[in-house]
Amino acid sequence: MKTIWLNNPCATRVKTTPYPNTKELQQKLTKGLLLLGTILSVYLLTLQPVMAHGEKNLEPYVRMRTVQWYDVQWSKQKFNVNDEVVVTGKFHVAEDWPISVPRPDAAFLNISTPGPVLIRTERYLNGKPYMNSVALQPGGDYDFKVVLKGRLPGRYHIHPFFNLKDAGQVMGPGSWLDIAGDASDFTNNVQTINGELVDMETFGLGNGIFWHSFWTLLGTAWLLWWVRRPLFIERYRMLQAGLEDELVTPLDRNIGKAIVIGVPVLVFMFYTMTMNKYPKAIPLQASLDQILPLSAQVNAGVVDVETVRTEYRVPKRSMTVSLKIKNGSDKPIQIGEFATGGVRFLNQSVPAHDLNNAESVIAKEGLILDNPVPIQPGEQRTVLMTAGDALWESEKLDGLINDADSRIGGLVFFFDSEGERYISSITSAVIPKFD
Amino acid sequence: MSANLSKPTFKPYTGEKARITRAYDYLILVLALFLFIGSFHLHFALTVGDWDFWVDWKDRQWWPLVTPLIGITFPAAVQAVLWSNFRLPLGATLCVACLSIGTWIARVFAYHYWNYFPINMVMPSTLLPSALVLDGILMLSNSLTVTAIFGGSAFALLFYPANWPIFGMFHVPVEAGNSQLTLADMFGFQYIRTGMPEYLRIIERGTLRTYGQIATPLSAFCSALLCTLMYTLWWHIGKWFATTRYLKRI
Repeated sequence: MKTIWLNNPCATRVKTTPYPNTKELQQKLTKGLLLLGTILSVYLLTLQPVMAHGEKNLEPYVRMRTVQWYDVQWSKQKFNVNDEVVVTGKFHVAEDWPISVPRPDAAFLNISTPGPVLIRTERYLNGKPYMNSVALQPGGDYDFKVVLKGRLPGRYHIHPFFNLKDAGQVMGPGSWLDIAGDASDFTNNVQTINGELVDMETFGLGNGIFWHSFWTLLGTAWLLWWVRRPLFIERYRMLQAGLEDELVTPLDRNIGKAIVIGVPVLVFMFYTMTMNKYPKAIPLQASLDQILPLSAQVNAGVVDVETVRTEYRVPKRSMTVSLKIKNGSDKPIQIGEFATGGVRFLNQSVPAHDLNNAESVIAKEGLILDNPVPIQPGEQRTVLMTAGDALWESEKLDGLINDADSRIGGLVFFFDSEGERYISSITSAVIPKFD
Repeated sequence: MSANLSKPTFKPYTGEKARITRAYDYLILVLALFLFIGSFHLHFALTVGDWDFWVDWKDRQWWPLVTPLIGITFPAAVQAVLWSNFRLPLGATLCVACLSIGTWIARVFAYHYWNYFPINMVMPSTLLPSALVLDGILMLSNSLTVTAIFGGSAFALLFYPANWPIFGMFHVPVEAGNSQLTLADMFGFQYIRTGMPEYLRIIERGTLRTYGQIATPLSAFCSALLCTLMYTLWWHIGKWFATTRYLKRI
């Protein structure tokens, strides 16, 4: 509708007439609402829980050249609430640590879960238990073990991963875990140094609620003391009229004095009582664990590998690495696998003993060599290793060519005729080829 | 009403006028309740944040320094409005009570029911004793300076001892992984936080090491000094933002 003033702009009489295109507007509005409703309905009907952990978000060179995971295994993937599950594995900390990523002076081996659906009861690095963050050494080899306990029933996709200070999360291989049972059966008792057994699920909750309630009661009483009287307009008028003395009475002042003296007295009394009750209380612990790497597992000196040149062919989605290899073992060896950034490229012609049972992202026929003949003991050979698969793109590793630090890193796995494994880490700048 | 009413001419409202002004009181109170639950809680969550969220962040140095310093902001501003214009000495208690309601709602529904953390791991601290004393000192002194110095200091100094009865028991030592931890640290280790690695905790870091192990009083007194300044700043922010010009038209 629109309003039209009649002749005299000061007139009080007005005439209202409908817009000529009102119906058209209504129709458009209805259609628009219907379209919006349809889009929302489709959206709501197709909603699914998110199962990713941002594992592809981190820049490729960080995923490839920081923590290089392998042999990750879960003790079981179906278990009940209160049952323990153990994840073990190994990782190599890349020697060619990116310059733009802070050194791993503080890192935290974590488990990606949607909240504490499991609890972590034990954690080991190189066989040593540790509770805090840890300093890692580039070039170092580590094995890990984390003991978890089922807390909430459900099906969850879980990864071991490293939080790297100021760098982000480097994910290890994930796995689906099914936890059955009843959440109310979960128990988590911890023994204090004094020998007291406490239930972590409820410890201190009743006490906390009591103290919050106590102070809330006093606070509410103070608020009600003032709210029971007329508040804003009346008090404003009285204050403007100079009746300030009537707004705060002598009784109010006495209560105020009781509060100013009584509350601190109560606070320090309760504080002293608590100090006496828990005389052995200690500060929060904030140390950094120091655990030395294992003796070399990767680049152990038996097989020497030097990366000569690396090219990434964009249309073919393949990485070709020229490797100068010297076999120092006493048996012929072959390249069986190249692993980088959580993706494993396998050489189908080499029977490898797979020590992973986590859901690695695998290109089963992704590794091709220009010369598949085994490298003989003592032989030095330059090999063209091509890791080709759409996984470079789907795992967002091809973004490497757009990175500020376009260097690749990864682990090359050699196997001899008896299944013995030798691991070498490689690193090189990547030259993109667009033809 | 005009501002030049004198004692002999002042007459309290009666009848319908009295009922309407009372209804207005309740309307403002309810609005204030929701406003402060939302805004103060948000302000607190964005600034104090993890120190108040997690039991294993409540240390001797940063927690008693940061929490009162941020906790005194809204109380100072609201006191400036309620005391200067209405002589109502409840601004601090009102704000902190609203904060308490907001934090408890968030901890129970967001942290416990939504993200499965046990409530005892995310129990909030209380600032109510501090707020009561701050309101009391303002009422008795009727002075910004006195309240800033003594009230602000008391607000900070009372915080740690007032919360020790709630959180002291979480500092009982535990032996785990060949090391000594507190029960609070055990919560952090056991109940997995994907986005909260241990090294992110800003606890027990600082240069106050020459005073032996009495870090808490030093932090509390440092906080007390800063609270006197913060109180004054936020008092003036409160005065700046507030107006009573609509009341003058009544």
